[in-house]
Amino acid sequence: MMFLVRCSLFLVLGLLGVRANAANEEPRTKNQEQVAVPFRPESAKFPPLEKSVSYRGELIFVDHANRRGCIRVEGTGQFRRNDPHPFAMLPYGIIRYHGAPADLRDIPLGTVMRVRAYLPPDPKTSSVPVLPINNKEKDANGYRGTGIFPAENHAILLEDDASYCLREGKVWKLKEVDLQLNQGIVLATLEPKAGGDTQAAEQKLTLDTATRFWRGRECLRLADLIADGTWPASGKKSLGGQSVLLGLVWKPCPDGIFVRFHISDVWLDDVATQRAAQSQAEVHKTFIRSRWMPAWVDAVEYGKFGRATVTATLFGGMDPSLYADFQKGSSAMMNGAENTLKHTDASYGPGHMASRGSILDVTKAAGEIPLGSSGIQVRFETDLIIEGIRPGKVVRVRPAAWPVVELPREEHLGSFRHEERFPTPAIFQK
Amino acid sequence: MRLCLSCFSLALCLGASLLAIAAEEPFRPEQGKFPPLDKSVAYRGELVFVDHATRRGSLRVEFKSEFFRSPPTPFAMLPYGMVRYHGAPADLRDIPIGTIMNIRAFLPPDPKNSSVVTTPNHWYPLPLENHAILIEDEPSLCLREGKTWKLKEVDLQNNQGIVLATRDSQDAAAAKGPEEKLTIDSTTRFWRGRENLSLADLVAEGTWPASGKKSLGGQSVLLGLIWKPCPDGIFVRYHISDVWLDDKATQRAIQSQTEVHKSLIRSRWMPAFVDKVEYGKFGRATATVTLFGGMDPSLYADFKKDGYTGAINGAENTLKHAGGSYGPAHMASQGTILEVIKTPGVAPMGSSGIQVRFETDLIIEGIRPGRVVRIRPSDWPKVYIPREEFLGEGAKIEDRFPRPDIFPVYR
Repeated sequence: MMFLVRCSLFLVLGLLGVRANAANEEPRTKNQEQVAVPFRPESAKFPPLEKSVSYRGELIFVDHANRRGCIRVEGTGQFRRNDPHPFAMLPYGIIRYHGAPADLRDIPLGTVMRVRAYLPPDPKTSSVPVLPINNKEKDANGYRGTGIFPAENHAILLEDDASYCLREGKVWKLKEVDLQLNQGIVLATLEPKAGGDTQAAEQKLTLDTATRFWRGRECLRLADLIADGTWPASGKKSLGGQSVLLGLVWKPCPDGIFVRFHISDVWLDDVATQRAAQSQAEVHKTFIRSRWMPAWVDAVEYGKFGRATVTATLFGGMDPSLYADFQKGSSAMMNGAENTLKHTDASYGPGHMASRGSILDVTKAAGEIPLGSSGIQVRFETDLIIEGIRPGKVVRVRPAAWPVVELPREEHLGSFRHEERFPTPAIFQK
Repeated sequence: MRLCLSCFSLALCLGASLLAIAAEEPFRPEQGKFPPLDKSVAYRGELVFVDHATRRGSLRVEFKSEFFRSPPTPFAMLPYGMVRYHGAPADLRDIPIGTIMNIRAFLPPDPKNSSVVTTPNHWYPLPLENHAILIEDEPSLCLREGKTWKLKEVDLQNNQGIVLATRDSQDAAAAKGPEEKLTIDSTTRFWRGRENLSLADLVAEGTWPASGKKSLGGQSVLLGLIWKPCPDGIFVRYHISDVWLDDKATQRAIQSQTEVHKSLIRSRWMPAFVDKVEYGKFGRATATVTLFGGMDPSLYADFKKDGYTGAINGAENTLKHAGGSYGPAHMASQGTILEVIKTPGVAPMGSSGIQVRFETDLIIEGIRPGRVVRIRPSDWPKVYIPREEFLGEGAKIEDRFPRPDIFPVYR
């Protein structure tokens, strides 16, 4: 758990609590509604989390190179009828899986994810469809109910159930299992880990022979738990409120049930949880070291003959060891990037075009750090500033200790086609 | 007479020319027939994009140049095309992005309706055979071909390093594979019996060195491979994502993926080709279908003759149900399994070699010879499938024949 505690921004997020979107939903008079301007994130500013809208659903499509995808959003109707709902990650949007930082490519299709999202910052260049602002209140018809197509489709946070529970300090308490023919129903409640919520609603979740149980170093199956007598081969058994973390997916369910999630993974103890978080953290550290740390340019002070000093704020949500690699006095590189975090040019590797220089200073902001930001500013001096490194633009920065590698074709711009810089929503079927 | 001879000679020449042209005509699979595997083209690459609902995606194909330059190349699964992961049947949705996949593919059977591009859209020498009959990860290939990786040596520095290994046949008489360099790091998972270990665990117990070289003595393992950008201008070097250290671990991985896929097929139904339909009166008909191959044997065993009931529904080449907004069973033809026939000999790849004769009193559109259907024995659960896995009203041609324009063009 220490691994998570170190991420100060998530403590801030935790303090804001689950009701953070309440400000968006407070009852208003008709006149107030008419004058209210909908909130949209602004370029180069980390938006307040309390202005975001939260929802959850099943990840069903991923275009990881453009940091976008589709979710089947849980609404008030029949879940299986809900069409894939496109979303895009904001440039500073954070993805978490198994309680650790992740990229969209790391999340298996089918995983139930929780989203915190805003309206598109710039509807003209949105990479996903732009919807009417009040779309989440509309009944989608066809037994789908409301809430399944929120216009707030630009995500600042996308996390699986295990990550959500770890961030919010929650656990699932398993009450009872009822098994028939290697599949069954688990009754469970989602409660604060510290205890105290005796009113938590009991939820029914399915599980079957595909469910994985993680215990210490072991990866077990239902048959293993039955064989060692922990779970019954058939029938009901009380599980005594055992505390676990769950991975959730969705499978079509019989009997006309609107929505019932399925347990893909059960982490039975803290060792297993920490090993899962550590494993994912290692995957993401390797990834960021090869793709460079994304950041926002706060200011550029121009010198003579192409010399400039750039102040940039590193994006948040990474493993602390990555930020620790930015050391005052060490050399570094900085390259322009798009809102999709694609490098603007990297056909010979991003290092080919990037501005080279040295890190003059690394400062940590005091006080509360908004979600999306690391709170760490880097002052970087280069003798040859390139296009793309301008205030408000996204850049990627590499400290000298990170490997110099060439990136795959889809992860950088390679031509002067508009579509590469601003992917259109055309790939999403209606 | 001379004229006749001349005409005959001309006809012979013309015939010979036509035969020559026919011989050069590239092979394309035909609708309703399983193509011979020896006409397929084999290649491998990194899975970089998946549209599982339409059974297509993109691979970064390995070619004789710098791998990172290889643009994502679209592929589509043939309706009877098989996906295998961890040595078991799989769906495209089960394969993590980044996995190195081995593919056997043909030219598009019907270029007009191909869901992926049929002409090269870049200057790289990448295959046009992009309709796959088989796509499988490294362990699946090794298990199918009776091969294992023999680990020779590891050289570690700062929790990452190089493994020297050969992929050898289990047949002792077969030639040894060439020595390959593969990378490894702290993200690599080691599977031993029930255990899921990290590199740090192996170092801690002294099996692997904390730093420097160590001989691994030709230890037999299975490897999961992915690709990561590599430094020093290396054209291609794969990365080890998983190591299965023993048979027990391998069997558990197989079993786990098998269970995932069994659950999927039971809810989406078994795909099949219609071989023939014998029409009766007032909508009654008997359809003979061949079940597609590559599934777990227990799924085929669920098709029982002599009065077992079931349902059969029209499907597309993407295997999407033709109708299913109230669940596929809502529109499907209900009926009885009259007969289950195991065809003699070895079934071609794509086929199970199992024919089912199914009688219904209300045959629906879509169940016609050569067409794809999905069939369900009555034991399987009746569930509603998600929106993207069936056609809607069928009014949009795009629903039936997805176009290739979702794939970006890289020049």
